[in-house]
Amino acid sequence: MKFDWPYFWESLLSPSPQFLSGLALTVIISVVAMALALLLGLVIALMGRSRFLPFQLFASLYIWVIRGTPLLVQLVIIYTGFAAAGIFRFEDTDVLGSLIKGAVQAAIIGLMLNESAYISEIVRSGLESVDRGQNEAALSLGMTPMHSMRKIIVPQAIRIMVPPLGNSFNGLMKSTSILSIIGVSEMFQVGSTMSAATFKVFEIYIVVALYYLLLTTVWTFIQTAIENTLNVRAGLPRAEPVFKRLFGIRSRKQATPAPAIALQPADAA
Amino acid sequence: MTTQHAASTSASTPPSDPHDNIVQAVDVCKSFGDKKILTDVNLTVARGEVVVMVGPSGAGKTTMLRTINRLESIDSGEIRVNGELIGQRVNKHGKVVERSARDLARQRADIGFVFQHFNLFPHMSVLENVSLAAVEVRHQPKSKVNDYARELLERVGLADKADARTRSLSGGQQQRVAIARALAMRPALMLFDEPTSALDPEMVGEVLTVMKGLAEAGMTMIIVSHEMGFTREVADRVVVMDAGTIIESGAPEQVFSNPKHDRTRQFLSKVL
Repeated sequence: MKFDWPYFWESLLSPSPQFLSGLALTVIISVVAMALALLLGLVIALMGRSRFLPFQLFASLYIWVIRGTPLLVQLVIIYTGFAAAGIFRFEDTDVLGSLIKGAVQAAIIGLMLNESAYISEIVRSGLESVDRGQNEAALSLGMTPMHSMRKIIVPQAIRIMVPPLGNSFNGLMKSTSILSIIGVSEMFQVGSTMSAATFKVFEIYIVVALYYLLLTTVWTFIQTAIENTLNVRAGLPRAEPVFKRLFGIRSRKQATPAPAIALQPADAA
Repeated sequence: MTTQHAASTSASTPPSDPHDNIVQAVDVCKSFGDKKILTDVNLTVARGEVVVMVGPSGAGKTTMLRTINRLESIDSGEIRVNGELIGQRVNKHGKVVERSARDLARQRADIGFVFQHFNLFPHMSVLENVSLAAVEVRHQPKSKVNDYARELLERVGLADKADARTRSLSGGQQQRVAIARALAMRPALMLFDEPTSALDPEMVGEVLTVMKGLAEAGMTMIIVSHEMGFTREVADRVVVMDAGTIIESGAPEQVFSNPKHDRTRQFLSKVL
């Protein structure tokens, strides 16, 4: 096997400016899409819980369609399909002094829509995991349902929602690699351009893989910190340390200790 | 309390002054699906009165209690608390309609409710549990509320647990915090839904002692309970429910030693 070690190390340790801007774009798209998806997901979840039937129907239809079709197809429809049919074309736009490419806008919208359907389900199950008695107690103290949601239900549900939301974000960062299909010059796209120019296919994709790994690892640290903060605030033990999470060495949940059985003989003096 | 007591020994003869009735339920009906839970229940409770609802499980006691602060809606009939329809209002066409969430919340703020399973807020300390609603709902200054909350915790014997987490407390302690939490709103009426049924036997006494103290202080209380000794001691009136109706109501000595209804006799023979 021929592996160009010098080229590999150079690409890994002093990546080209194009590669770094691809990395930056990957991070920016992920963060922005996730932030928007959280908001939209919350709205969809609340619509699903609403007593207003059209809201409920819309929420379940939305979740059904978005979760039931591939992200890749959704992206192509939003960016290429809509433009071809003359419905909507994403134009390059100036936002706060920097030019945002049409493809990047479509990418953010597509990822947001896709992710929000999953997030709304996470939010829904998080809210449902809080015991009904909690809401009743809040109502009986004179809180309105909205007030109870804000002060009693959401603070408890968030702790339940953070691990699956973290997984979602992790997946979202990796999904950005398929944005190359609509011509977004994120990290994967830059990598494939480089490999086409240099034929160092193996070396470059290993470097690309290692950078994705770096991103998700950094995120694992951040997620653990968030979980710990929430756990400490709720008076619970800390989450598993990061090295254990990364290598899958999870300890079993400690059940309440079994009552100690008296071992003294009956006639103990 | 004796005068009110004398005036309200039976549900069928409510006290003469209607303003003294804090709760007035008339012909209350409630079904879950096809299952009829409450059938034409009439219940009047005077200010300062301690009413204990007893009866076999499934009789509708808990549902009846929950309708009084509208945790449960009713199908027909009406329930007034402090003279106001609870959770409902009469609109300008004379039709009974739902009250707004905000309006219902205002009504509930004056009614304390103690749950079988305590329902303390686990993401807050004991003190925060007690002071939360007065700060959030009544918008009282936090320092004043905290002082009162500590006073209430002292009254229920838990002054030293103010900063503890609720999950570190025993069941009996949690229920006493729940009572303090309800009292912090200075309610005009306290509802207790089987407050000792989820407790280990050795913890029942401490909760009943707190409730006895409240009764002696003149608090109006409606209690669903299976504690017959306690009922005999603190109740001004015992209401016996069976199959969704009130079958008998009267002073504890009378109901316990000389029940009018056969089904009361049957029930009492099992629990006494």
